[in-house]
Amino acid sequence: MKKVLFVCSGGMSSAIVVKALKEEAKKHGEELEVKAIGSSEVEMELKDEWDVIMVAPQIRHRFDGIKRQADEAGVPVGAIPPNAYTPMGGPALYKTLKELIE
Amino acid sequence: MMNRMINFLERTVAGPMAKVAEQRHLLAIRDGVVSSLPFIIVGSFFLLVAFPPFPETWAITAWAAENAAEILIPYRMTMFIMSLYVAFGIGYNLANSYKVDPLSGGQIAVVALLLTITPTAIEELGFVLPMQYLGGNGLFVTIIVSIIAVEIFRICKQKEITIKLPESVPDSVGRSFEALIPATIVILLISAITVLMGVNLHLLVQNIFAPIVTVGDSLIGVLIPVFLITLFWSFGIHGVSVVGSVARPVWEVYLLNNSEAAAEGASLLPHIAPEPLYQWFIWIGGSGATLGLVLVMLFFARSKYLKNLGRTVIAPGIFNINEPVVFGAPIVLNPILIIPFIIVPIVTATIAFTVTSIGLVSPTFIRAPWTLPAPIGAYLATGGDWRAIILVLVNIVISILIYLPFFKVYDNKMVAMEKGEYEEGSQKT
Repeated sequence: MKKVLFVCSGGMSSAIVVKALKEEAKKHGEELEVKAIGSSEVEMELKDEWDVIMVAPQIRHRFDGIKRQADEAGVPVGAIPPNAYTPMGGPALYKTLKELIE
Repeated sequence: MMNRMINFLERTVAGPMAKVAEQRHLLAIRDGVVSSLPFIIVGSFFLLVAFPPFPETWAITAWAAENAAEILIPYRMTMFIMSLYVAFGIGYNLANSYKVDPLSGGQIAVVALLLTITPTAIEELGFVLPMQYLGGNGLFVTIIVSIIAVEIFRICKQKEITIKLPESVPDSVGRSFEALIPATIVILLISAITVLMGVNLHLLVQNIFAPIVTVGDSLIGVLIPVFLITLFWSFGIHGVSVVGSVARPVWEVYLLNNSEAAAEGASLLPHIAPEPLYQWFIWIGGSGATLGLVLVMLFFARSKYLKNLGRTVIAPGIFNINEPVVFGAPIVLNPILIIPFIIVPIVTATIAFTVTSIGLVSPTFIRAPWTLPAPIGAYLATGGDWRAIILVLVNIVISILIYLPFFKVYDNKMVAMEKGEYEEGSQKT
């Protein structure tokens, strides 16, 4: 099971989008473990093992800082495209995830 | 044309400005202030208990009035001395960003703040620390001395002006010795200012910041951050997070001063614009007052996409989470919806500010969790003023009226697109 870390400003909005990603993954027969967090929690979460980090579009000005932390931990990281960051964005989210992992 | 302008603005204005908010010290201030939030929320609720929003004739109101001093003790140890918690938070976060020991950073910041206050000996009690500068009145000094203290700490560390113990000494002991020289410098420096020179840093800094505190509490001082926040969101950047990095200390000062006045039993509170004013009366449903848009979507959408979207975003919208609609509609980079998204908050902010300043609604002085539905949040934030609920409802109606025509235009476009009539190059509207 892949472990995905979802980062937004406070962890609230990404929690909503997480559902869309999980459901889409299920359609492809894949179970995902996804955790939604705020940007200040990234450093702490990186102490655990993660397969990939996805960063919400509204905090893309913070992307470089998060990428630096992720690079240090050796975890691939990518920005979520704005049009995918909605409760109906499952397919686009899943596609982004696949591109990041492969 | 419109798209090109938006791209241009993003590259030249919004992008670089958002980067500024990511500056190390601003980030440490933001995280330091935010880390004290639980204490503010809990502390401010004791204010509500001490002054319950019930008729004076009720038994509970009389009981609260009699015991207000005792009920307020948890408030006095949290929100009332919030600067103490903020100092530790800023010190911790700034040290952490420099990758020097965060615990020592937090502690050095706290000692720097405490040394700006002079304890006095009182018979019976011994030494007493006046609390007056540990709340809102001390916030600016807190920010300044915390940063200076941590800067001294990390420069000493980076230039290796520290006492190094042999490697056999446990880490935790070694770390505390590393802080010895920088802590000495910080303590001597601030003591020299406060004790030797007899300078009251708090009065000094208050005078310097007085103009900012005055402007931020005026109508224009409210409209500027409101406009900037929706402008950032129009590009899909978290506006409150960016603008708040700079403005939040001032908003906190208003909130703390108002709560202090309320705790004294004052009937007139000094400030109109603490952050809860924005939270409950302007950002109803999230930045851009998008609850109005979501309601319009729910009841008036004809296109399949927007109808579906309305159903999925109404629940988060009630709890002020609006990223799903901001990115879903989308409002981001959408010229049609950006217009009301910017206009609505300017109108509702003007109404909220005016109504509050002429005393029709009490100013806010309590911080309630931001995910509460707006009418409830507004009622609590004003210490139980039922007129606050009416103001919220009026602002929702106004936001619906302004969003509606723009939404109709966009919805028609979506309907046309869904019917397949919409082809590249045939945009007549």
